[in-house]
Amino acid sequence: MKILNKNQLETILNKLAEEAEVFVPMSKGNSSGFYSWKTRNPETERLMLDALNVYLSPKNIGFPQTEKMYSIKQSGPDVEIKETFEDSDPRIIFGIRACDARAITCMDDVFLTRGYEDSFYKARRDNTTIIANACYNPGPNCFCAGMGIDPTEPNADIIIRDTGDTGYIWETKTTQGEQLSARIADLLEEKELKAPELKPFKTNVEYAGVAEKLKSMFEHPIWEELSQTCQNCGICTYVCPSCHCFDIQVKMWGDEGYRFRCWDSCMYTEYSAEAGGGNPRPTTKERFRNRFLHKLEFFTERYGYPLCTGCGRCIVACPTGINIVNIIDQVKEANVDV
Amino acid sequence: MSDKCSCEQPLVPVMVEVIDIKDETPDVKSFYCRKTEGGVPFDVKPGQCAMVSQVAIGEGMFSCTWQEEQEYLQFAIKKVGLLTDELHAIEVGQKLGVRGPYGNGFPVEECQGKDMLFIAGGIGLAPLRSFIKYCFKHREDYGKITIIYGSRSYADLCFKEELFNEWPAIKDTQVYVTIDNPEEAWDGHVGFVPAYVEEINPDPAGMIAVTCGPPIMIKFVLQSLEKMGYTDDQVITTLEMRMKCGIGKCGRCNIGSEYICLDGPVFNLAQLRLLPQEW
Ligand SMILES: Cc1cc2nc3c(=O)[nH]c(=O)nc-3n(C[C@H](O)[C@H](O)[C@H](O)COP(=O)(O)OP(=O)(O)OC[C@H]3O[C@@H](n4cnc5c(N)ncnc54)[C@H](O)[C@@H]3O)c2cc1C
Ligand code: SF4
Ligand code: SF4
Ligand code: FES
Repeated sequence: MKILNKNQLETILNKLAEEAEVFVPMSKGNSSGFYSWKTRNPETERLMLDALNVYLSPKNIGFPQTEKMYSIKQSGPDVEIKETFEDSDPRIIFGIRACDARAITCMDDVFLTRGYEDSFYKARRDNTTIIANACYNPGPNCFCAGMGIDPTEPNADIIIRDTGDTGYIWETKTTQGEQLSARIADLLEEKELKAPELKPFKTNVEYAGVAEKLKSMFEHPIWEELSQTCQNCGICTYVCPSCHCFDIQVKMWGDEGYRFRCWDSCMYTEYSAEAGGGNPRPTTKERFRNRFLHKLEFFTERYGYPLCTGCGRCIVACPTGINIVNIIDQVKEANVDV
Repeated sequence: MSDKCSCEQPLVPVMVEVIDIKDETPDVKSFYCRKTEGGVPFDVKPGQCAMVSQVAIGEGMFSCTWQEEQEYLQFAIKKVGLLTDELHAIEVGQKLGVRGPYGNGFPVEECQGKDMLFIAGGIGLAPLRSFIKYCFKHREDYGKITIIYGSRSYADLCFKEELFNEWPAIKDTQVYVTIDNPEEAWDGHVGFVPAYVEEINPDPAGMIAVTCGPPIMIKFVLQSLEKMGYTDDQVITTLEMRMKCGIGKCGRCNIGSEYICLDGPVFNLAQLRLLPQEW
């Protein structure tokens, strides 16, 4: 089997970074996320391959937080627009975990299927290679397995497995992965190592059956109760690797400017507000309900699996302690005959 | 300017030129658009919508109230806010962005051979008009046509020329118009649309009812139709939710697992009853 020796790691990242932007999990100040290996500042940014989930997901690599779509130039009644593909150069996401890899599968389904292909997303996605790091020791807030994901088998072009020894097993899964592996073939070793056993999860939840049960719970009093402390701050949707809602806005300086899209959140009032003051989701309760039903019921009905990947980031980020695992448990316990 | 097919770049508009603007009511104007070089940017089925933009200001979803062959696309737009205020201020010759067509549209084929009942309030006539005009264009494919339409006042009635002169003159067509409150020069019906529908009481046998208007009107019309014996699959409506992308990606127009921009905006009542009551 192919082995990536840990002492070759930097060499390999350097080599890969010659031909593509390589995003790796790194700490940055008080935060952490996926940042460019090439342009890292070694003083303030440290590689965190061992950390399970960095604070910020790699969502912005395929779906930037803000993205210019086209430039606008007007003169009198004439208007000219020109597409501006901001950045779709080849990129590699190195060290992503199974939960975040699943989130990319969610994005692929949203942006590339069901009638329309999002050309902006597609341009980047076609140029993205994913090298995932299999998990064997889930963290305190990890519950991917409960959401139907095997943390040791991430959906990726290449999987690396930390043997705890001197090396990672390097497992190529797709043609795109083969092309990448070929480029660094001489830096990999041939050796037999054993992948570790998966340790038990500390957060246990079982999603199976939840989507079906939720079908009859739209009007259930549970939403009023669960949403009591929610501030509609939107941080959960921001740190979520799979929340894909966006807004489209325009920025003009005189006669020139551009239209862009940016992440949006169903937790905000503005999100569904209509002209004349109407809003189908007027209070926290409706917005909260929509978020969790989208994750746990609506997405499953549409795409066949939930929009929650068990990464646990929202549990950490929520200022008022709202916990999706707890919500799943409460839904399972709820009496639906009320 | 983008010359690519709107399907390859679904979020990037094609530019069109406004070739005519008509005042329909004090706050509704019709905009006739076509490409500068001639022709329409895309073909639109009755009930489908497009994102129309005064590009430097914003985009909004509007029903295409009529496509005249390759001549023009027509939108009837009510002045309610930022974008629509701007649109009401433009003049002929202005370039607008359009992208689409979006949505499923009305089931024009499935309705062939049926009698048609159209019930609209206010600007809600804009989407229905594309279906009404389609029926007239293919008059032999449809049975009797009954149109019930109401607005706050006489001035607020859209498409008056068609309503009072053109449509009533068409074979097997009845047009009923009502306004909310009495007015001196008005000798027609006064009262709200749902009550008027019950008063006219069109027989459900062989009929398909299509309704659009303010949410409160739709709600009561649906109740009236049910009372009058219409079954859920005989009643069609078209919904409005706030929209940004129009292609089922940006998330915001969902009702349950359906995206109104993509799976709607047209639903029959049987389909609507399966969705959470968020419309
Ligand atoms: C499927 C569909 C068909 C429509 N057809 C027509 C039509 O034929 N004629 C017509 O006059 N209007 C129609 N509307 C409503 C129209 O989209 C809004 O009135 C318009 O976008 C308001 O924009 P504004 O910037 O002037 O208002 P503002 O209040 O300034 O708008 C603020 C924001 O809210 C959005 N918004 C406001 N109201 C609505 C609404 N009711 N639905 C969706 N988004 C809204 C706007 O796009 C904008 O982003 C339709 C809406 C939908 C969803
Ligand atoms: S949620 Fe699962 S895949 Fe994600 S970091 Fe934890 S164990 Fe790994
Ligand atoms: S992070 Fe917590 S408080 Fe903020 S919107 Fe999400 S659930 Fe509500
Ligand atoms: S408008 Fe974006 S999903 Fe419907």
